Amino acid sequence: MQGKVESAHSHPTLAAILSFLLVFILLMVIAVINAPTMGGPKGLASAATYLAEVKHTALPFLGVVTVGAIALGLVVARTVYREWPNKRKRTTLLAAYGFLAPYLIITLVFTVGVILFAFYISFTNYDIFTPPQWVGLTNYLNAFKGFVDSTQKDFIQSLYNVLWYSLIVIPLQTSIAILLAVMVNAPVRMKQFFRTIFYAPSVTSSVVITLIFMWFYLKTGYINFFLAKFLGIFGITWQNIIWQGDPRGLIQLIVNAFGGNIPSDQWYLRGPSIAWMSIMFQNIFTTAPTFMIMFLAAMQDINPTLYEAAAIDGASNWQRFWKITLPLLRPIILMVIVLGTIGTLQVFDQVYLATSGGPLGTSLTPVYLTFREAMGQQGPIRMGYAAALAFILAVIIFFFTFLQRRMIERGTEQY
Amino acid sequence: MSAIPQKLDRPNPAVKTVKPLQYYIGVTLRYVLLCAVGLILFAPFILAFLGAFKTDAEIIAYPPKFLPVHWLWQNWVTTWNTDIGRGGTFPRWLFNTAFLSVTVAILEAIFCSMAAYAFARMKFPGRDLVFNFMLATMMIPGAVTLIPSYVLMSKLKLINSFFSLIIPGAVSAGGIFMLTQFFKSIPQELEEAAFMDGASHMQIYKDIVLPLSRPALLTILILQFQGMWNNFLAPLLYLNSADKMVLNVALSIFQQTYKAQWNLTLVGAMFNAFPVLIIFFIFSRYYIEGVSYTGVKG
Repeated sequence: MQGKVESAHSHPTLAAILSFLLVFILLMVIAVINAPTMGGPKGLASAATYLAEVKHTALPFLGVVTVGAIALGLVVARTVYREWPNKRKRTTLLAAYGFLAPYLIITLVFTVGVILFAFYISFTNYDIFTPPQWVGLTNYLNAFKGFVDSTQKDFIQSLYNVLWYSLIVIPLQTSIAILLAVMVNAPVRMKQFFRTIFYAPSVTSSVVITLIFMWFYLKTGYINFFLAKFLGIFGITWQNIIWQGDPRGLIQLIVNAFGGNIPSDQWYLRGPSIAWMSIMFQNIFTTAPTFMIMFLAAMQDINPTLYEAAAIDGASNWQRFWKITLPLLRPIILMVIVLGTIGTLQVFDQVYLATSGGPLGTSLTPVYLTFREAMGQQGPIRMGYAAALAFILAVIIFFFTFLQRRMIERGTEQY
Repeated sequence: MSAIPQKLDRPNPAVKTVKPLQYYIGVTLRYVLLCAVGLILFAPFILAFLGAFKTDAEIIAYPPKFLPVHWLWQNWVTTWNTDIGRGGTFPRWLFNTAFLSVTVAILEAIFCSMAAYAFARMKFPGRDLVFNFMLATMMIPGAVTLIPSYVLMSKLKLINSFFSLIIPGAVSAGGIFMLTQFFKSIPQELEEAAFMDGASHMQIYKDIVLPLSRPALLTILILQFQGMWNNFLAPLLYLNSADKMVLNVALSIFQQTYKAQWNLTLVGAMFNAFPVLIIFFIFSRYYIEGVSYTGVKG
């Protein structure tokens, strides 16, 4: 675009046409790259075979994109036409979009284009090697088939698992984070040192943390060892268990303790499994310090005169925390809760490394399931189904993001 | 004491009218608590570091001993010399990870600051639209773009090429958002003066805005370096040939190959953790600023 500035110096029409073409061609190239073709080794042999394949399989997709590209191109052309005669506006326009170009192009190719593609294939059966077949809403319906057919319960179970995960992890990680923040906010020497130490688990790769904890969770690992030591004080003998391979659920254990039993077709009554809870624990370990920093930042924004006034009135530390700190942290607490929810819905690394969704699917998560289906790690490659699962997850996450916005707005209104 | 009551007010709480003993107990308790929690939070690193020196038998022995009976430096050598063929060696993985993290961090700092400059300083048609579009993309969960990105990468023949991580990693909505907020907080007088003198936007961006925003850029660099270094899912999908793997992916393979030889896996984990921890210890101020900033504002 920059090169054409000189020739189109005083020709707004020419500039408008050129910018229309630029936008249109750019979008079409992005669409062609992202078109749902077979994508297998044969199709990729050369540009010609690829285009032939696009022609064969992706014309409806391209048609829709073409309409969008023309519309956007016209809007751009109109703007350029209007701005062009004014030299200063023209320079700003060109400079601004010049600055934005790397971001816009990369995002259009790798986010927007890719999402259009995913949305399209979520309505198809698609395994990369054969052309996608339109199946309508089947993939979306299949995701919820688990309600009637317990052999296809994977997705339902993954949602059930993350529900438990959120219910247990979020309250714990939020309250621990607040506690940690209060501790490092106290007037002590070497504040920075303590903060750094506290924050260390959060900066380390989740792979490293997971591997270390996998070792801790071994039957001969430290967790069993410490539990045995600790319970030994009270004279209880601890039977070492393989934490990350134990499918027994929390509710199941309680029921068993009273002599009852929950059959495996009522898996949804069993509660989070021991394996799943072990992953929860390790995750709290890394997320609590992250959120600690947010609370710390918010605490430092609290006006110190409030505390001084309270101190003059004879309020104890405890009262100051409950009556001043906590109410003022309310917006941040709400935000951390929702950020935590969004995070817990997307657990992957820990599951992939430690349990692969097992035992008995008690640590399956939506993202892991998406990965498994798309890569064909269990059975055939089902890209369309995986895309549908991802979109269902996205809708759930959007819902929580929306909730977050609402809550934060309401939370800040009050103070 | 009563002769200088005003001076007593703040600086020396130990001489306050509160019972000194109680005060000292309070302070001691505070430090004990901080040290105890710090120890708990740091324990996995310490135990894993000690574990990295244990023998094959010792690492899975029960009950576990904190200190290795024989300090086996050989583990570190064995891990360093790991070679799974086809160019897959440990130093190579370390290099891949470092190379990718540095490249992505630098590119991101450049491209994000460019876009942020446009958003913060220029008035052009479509600015709010593009900015809101960017905010919307921030909400898209990674899971949605995961699979189609893989297909796209394979079409572009970027599987097992570093570009599969470098190109999409070169910009991020979160980084642009953060820098935009930062640029808005820099006073504009200098730029306006330069603009009057006929400086171009490129010159203002390069000679005025960038030097002024060094702390914010450093924050972006560090956060992105850490983000890329710790990234697992994307490299797992895109980089799976022996010579292109990053440390995280290699470690997961390590664990599957060595199975019971946790000592070797732990050495690998230490190699992975140290660089980030060291950078973090040096630049912790920027880390904490960045996290609180992106978190609270985003």
